[in-house]
Amino acid sequence: MQRDNPDNANPTILNVSQLPSRAQKRATARVGSDSKYDSVVLSSPYWRDASSDDGREVREEVTDDALDEQEIYDLISTVSDPEHPHTLGELNVVRLPDIHLTPPRDNPRGLANILVELTPTINHCSLATVIGLALRVRLEQALPPNYRIDIRMKEGSHAQDDQVNKQLADKERVAAALENDTLGGVVENMLKTCAL
Amino acid sequence: MANFKDWALQYVLADDEPLQFEIAKKAAKEIESSNASRATVGNWAASVQPWMSRAQAGDDDLMEDGDDGGSGDIIARAKALGFLAGTLEALDKTILRTDQIVFLVGFFGSMFSYDHKAGITASTKALRQLFVMKGFKPDMGVKMLEDVCKLKEDFRLQSVVTRLEIYELFRSLVKDPSVSSELQHKYGSSCGFVVDLLQLCQHERDPRNLMLWFDIIASLVADYSPSEEVTGEIFKAFSAYFPISLKSSSTRIGITADDLKVALRSCFAAHQRLAPLTFPFLIQKLDQGDAVTVAVKLDILRTIKACVESYEHPQASLVPYIGKIWGSLKYEVRNGEVKETIDATLDVLRAIADKLDGSKTQKLEASLLKGYIDTVFKDCKEDLANPTYTKQAGLLVMTVITANIRGYVLESAALLDSIRSNFRQPKSPSHTRDLLLILNSILKARLELVKNRGQGHPEDAEQLKTEPRASLDALFHDIYLSTWTAKSSEPSKENTEVLKQVVQGLALLVSQQTVQQDGQTSLLCSGETCSQICTLLIQTLIKGLTLSSNDKETNDSSLEEEAQLALRTVGLNYTQAYEEFARTAKAEIKKRDWANASAYSLEALRDLLFRLAFVGCSELPHNVAGGSAGSKPFSPLQHFITSTATLLELFPLSVAGLSAEAHKESPANSYVIAALHAGLLFFRDACVAKYGADALVAFSRDDKNWVEEFGGFSDDWIQQLKSGEASDPTLSSLGEEDPEVYRQFLRLSLFIVRYLYRSATAGVQTVWSGRILSQVSNIAAFVIRNLDEKLQISCNLANEAFTLFSGKDVAEGNASPFLELLTRGVLEGLWPGAMAELYNPGGIAENIMCNPPKLEDRHSHQREIRASVALILANKHKMGPSTSDPESQTMKKVLGTWGDQLKASAASDIDLGAFESLNTIAMHIFAGAVARQDRNVLDLVPVLKEAIASEHVGDIVSRSMGILVTESELLLTENHAVVRRFYKQWAYSQIAKQFYPLALPSENGPAAATRYRAAILSIVSNCAFSVYEADVEPLLRLLITTLGDRGNVSPQQLVAALEVLVEILANEPDSLKSHLKAVIGGAIGVSEESLSQSQASSKKDPNQTSARKLALQALAAIPKKFEERYLLPHALRLQRVLAMACGDPVREVRLVARLARGNWAKVK
Repeated sequence: MQRDNPDNANPTILNVSQLPSRAQKRATARVGSDSKYDSVVLSSPYWRDASSDDGREVREEVTDDALDEQEIYDLISTVSDPEHPHTLGELNVVRLPDIHLTPPRDNPRGLANILVELTPTINHCSLATVIGLALRVRLEQALPPNYRIDIRMKEGSHAQDDQVNKQLADKERVAAALENDTLGGVVENMLKTCAL
Repeated sequence: MANFKDWALQYVLADDEPLQFEIAKKAAKEIESSNASRATVGNWAASVQPWMSRAQAGDDDLMEDGDDGGSGDIIARAKALGFLAGTLEALDKTILRTDQIVFLVGFFGSMFSYDHKAGITASTKALRQLFVMKGFKPDMGVKMLEDVCKLKEDFRLQSVVTRLEIYELFRSLVKDPSVSSELQHKYGSSCGFVVDLLQLCQHERDPRNLMLWFDIIASLVADYSPSEEVTGEIFKAFSAYFPISLKSSSTRIGITADDLKVALRSCFAAHQRLAPLTFPFLIQKLDQGDAVTVAVKLDILRTIKACVESYEHPQASLVPYIGKIWGSLKYEVRNGEVKETIDATLDVLRAIADKLDGSKTQKLEASLLKGYIDTVFKDCKEDLANPTYTKQAGLLVMTVITANIRGYVLESAALLDSIRSNFRQPKSPSHTRDLLLILNSILKARLELVKNRGQGHPEDAEQLKTEPRASLDALFHDIYLSTWTAKSSEPSKENTEVLKQVVQGLALLVSQQTVQQDGQTSLLCSGETCSQICTLLIQTLIKGLTLSSNDKETNDSSLEEEAQLALRTVGLNYTQAYEEFARTAKAEIKKRDWANASAYSLEALRDLLFRLAFVGCSELPHNVAGGSAGSKPFSPLQHFITSTATLLELFPLSVAGLSAEAHKESPANSYVIAALHAGLLFFRDACVAKYGADALVAFSRDDKNWVEEFGGFSDDWIQQLKSGEASDPTLSSLGEEDPEVYRQFLRLSLFIVRYLYRSATAGVQTVWSGRILSQVSNIAAFVIRNLDEKLQISCNLANEAFTLFSGKDVAEGNASPFLELLTRGVLEGLWPGAMAELYNPGGIAENIMCNPPKLEDRHSHQREIRASVALILANKHKMGPSTSDPESQTMKKVLGTWGDQLKASAASDIDLGAFESLNTIAMHIFAGAVARQDRNVLDLVPVLKEAIASEHVGDIVSRSMGILVTESELLLTENHAVVRRFYKQWAYSQIAKQFYPLALPSENGPAAATRYRAAILSIVSNCAFSVYEADVEPLLRLLITTLGDRGNVSPQQLVAALEVLVEILANEPDSLKSHLKAVIGGAIGVSEESLSQSQASSKKDPNQTSARKLALQALAAIPKKFEERYLLPHALRLQRVLAMACGDPVREVRLVARLARGNWAKVK
């Protein structure tokens, strides 16, 4: 849904390459004309560990990566803005440093907490609750049930952050909002741009 | 008479064209047989009288109101006239006499006055036929033209097809030289008939007719000499169409808008007499501002260009309008934003410069061109100082100056001076960058001018000799070096952009050649300048090695990338450059101890080594006089030799103070060998690019034994070639364009392989880690597979695989367990035909394949290596023409030996570790034979069955069955492996299928059935779906049993089962419909149990992760393949399970779990 007269008609938009991503954190592969044959000449020796005997090469390296803030960011930054044809990541409404994750201790199925703080593009954004609602839906759909999700406005970023926070924390109001067809449709549209 | 009348009637009554044509042919034959006697022709002409008389009787009425009752008559009359035209078409063109033609011309011509409704199409057709008759006279053509023009206003009322006929007639007449001269004789310069024509055709709108009309107009302008007034009229007639476009709906006729544009353009460009009208008209159109779209603008610009190029006598036809054209066009570039229009504008400006220079055969006065360039330069000079317009102004001036050699020689110095003066006071880094961009463009254009100097006027080449070079000579110090010094000290993104331009400019500068008085070329830059440029570029490339990780602020290596490309260009022309680079790089690397180098330093080392290989090997150097002054004679391979020799000199790098183990792990040496390998690959690509892949394949001159020849050389021959201590007559006589270069490259490469092999077998063992030996073996495989079979045989490479170029058999039990890798490298590249002698009974192949070494106490990798050697040997066995030849007996013996061994092991209580080694080698040998569908393999099936049934060794055999059909790089056709196209199908049906009955629980017991299942799944999971497509049902039963019995099967078996399940789901989901509950239950079980197991143990098993991922993949695919009624019973349970799976410790598994969860969430 793109409104004709959005609250902020001219928001600042980040380029996709500026958004934080896991690829940036990894060591970058060589670029340049001299790296054309890197995959051939720098490949590991062909032999396998003796443990795999069925003739197959050992499959791609699978690393044990616990769920982290970047993954939460990847999940929610691709949600679309209800007003503009951009994602919340591009509009800088969702920011990596504002995602706080307390992973479960000892038992991997124990309780974990996620706090996401939103920064609306303007401090009187009327759609802050809708955005918060969409993020909650997105995270609930993508995370296991032992993750407790808390979504708030970043302090000072919204004129009525107390009220918005209260609404987003109220389970009954959230459930009621999702029962509303119009609101449900808006949220569904916002989540259309999300990948996995 | 009667005949003709009947035929005419039949013709009128006939409806289909072939029949009409037949009738016309009959009439024509009749006329021909009478030799066109007066009576016959008269009868023929009179045969249409019945229809004509009616027309004349009611002529006026019909013409006026065309009442309904007359329409039938009109059609009949038109057909009757068509009979005459058709007969003429079929008639021998020499048969009619001139007087008869005159009569007929008169008759048909009169139709244009009297019968505008029925007569026109047929009459025009008839006239066209008469025009090509032998007896046709030019004055008849004039009459035809005049007659047709009598149509006047009614021309517009004719159908499109009729008009097309008339245009065709006009075109034939106007373009016919005799008619043309008759017309000019009759009408003189006034060309009065043209005015009639223009009036007649002025409202034409049909695209196909317009194509003809424009053609007629172009020919009227070009071939006739109409007076100024008539020219004006003609211009008005066609310019009214400009700019022309075409509605997309009417494009079915096969004519595009572009065709029309080109046709109309040819009218404008037809003759210089149009110049006073054309240029003002087009410029005025262009100056309409925003009203002009890009497409129209391009049309205008291209039309101007076409006029400039085709008008002759430019003094009169072009010079008077240059001011106007320039005045309008400059803004298109200066303020233009669309690349296409800017390019088209520059094309016009370049075309003007070329026109003013003269043609290939005749030069014009120099003042014309000079005047033009001065006008452009004067207007742009100020803009060069204005950062907003620098680029555009530079582009304009550069374009006109470098359009041709004369312009360049006349004015380039002034432009260079102007740029230089701006350099002294640059307004911003982007201003500097733009000025450099212009400078580089000038140098690039100069390169082209010098290269193409022989293609224009002979004067051009002479003029180049007189080129003022002072400004060019000073460029390096005045501009490039000073900018570099100023900008390189303060690194920033903007400065890097400037430096990149400087680096590009330096490469262009060194590539510049000058033409000497004797016509020879030499480098523009002095040796000293070249050397300075090299140093500068080399320092840029070496800098990474000298910095620490803290010094390097960004990961941006674009400047280094530019520098390496520039240095390569420099090295192509100034060949010492590369030697200097290699020398400096080697010295810098040798200076350091690589024992405890940081990861950053090692990366810098890797980059430098690869650049060394890239710069030296990725392009072949040019033979330029002065380029290699004072050094060795030119050879296209000299950089390759320098590069490889330097890398060989670097190897091994000093890693003093490291233990033997740590030494082996250090990647520094591995980088040196990798760079060497990359260099070979780069050089091969360069040869392919230069000579073409076909030339390299087809090129084979002799079958010398290179290896024997190498015996006469010192081991450091390559290094000696580099230093000049050794020389090789073949190498020094190579020409730049000779594809022999590629063969000599292969020869040198083979020497390098030999050198490395000999060092590995004799040298300090600590350097030769398994990794490095593996790299060397890859190099050997690359070099050897590029040699043709003949050469491989003549070099006796099959034996060298086992002597490793050392001249003696390398005995087993030597120090490095990896040395067999080297054997593998050679065998990998050999053609089967070159290995034939290995298979003699009792020969090496048999020995290696039949006698496995005692492996259990050796390095575990050795088993893999031996197995791969055995696989190659089993695969590249070339079957002789008859099955009883000794060679095929060898293979039979090998397979039989292994069959016996397996059988014996199955019955004994052999140590499992030892058996595992034996089994791996056996399976690889079988795999090699399976790939070429060796029928001897079939004898092994009972043995395999027996081995799997064995409780002792059955597990090992069953899970290794997949090796038989697994993809392997050793079985690639580029390695000359013998791989039959459907060997997997063959293996499946001959081997795996035999196990199905045994995989069912029976008297063998459940354990044996499990092993047979494992064997089937191991094979099937390595095959494509199409291979086992026919057996999906029995396979599914096996899968479900495996999933249900997951407590008793190995994780590998589970993975194989799930892989097959995912394949079946993707290709034939319907077969799963009745098993859905079991499949879902099994997949959930795998996912949950594997997750809890992996959470419980600290050591992660990759098979467990794969199993989870595949199970979830299967679950994710199910909702997309089945209707909801099949899914609903499972939905709730799956929602719960998948929600938990979203918390999997492995990210990739979580991704799949989310996908599955999303898919199942839609099931409601």
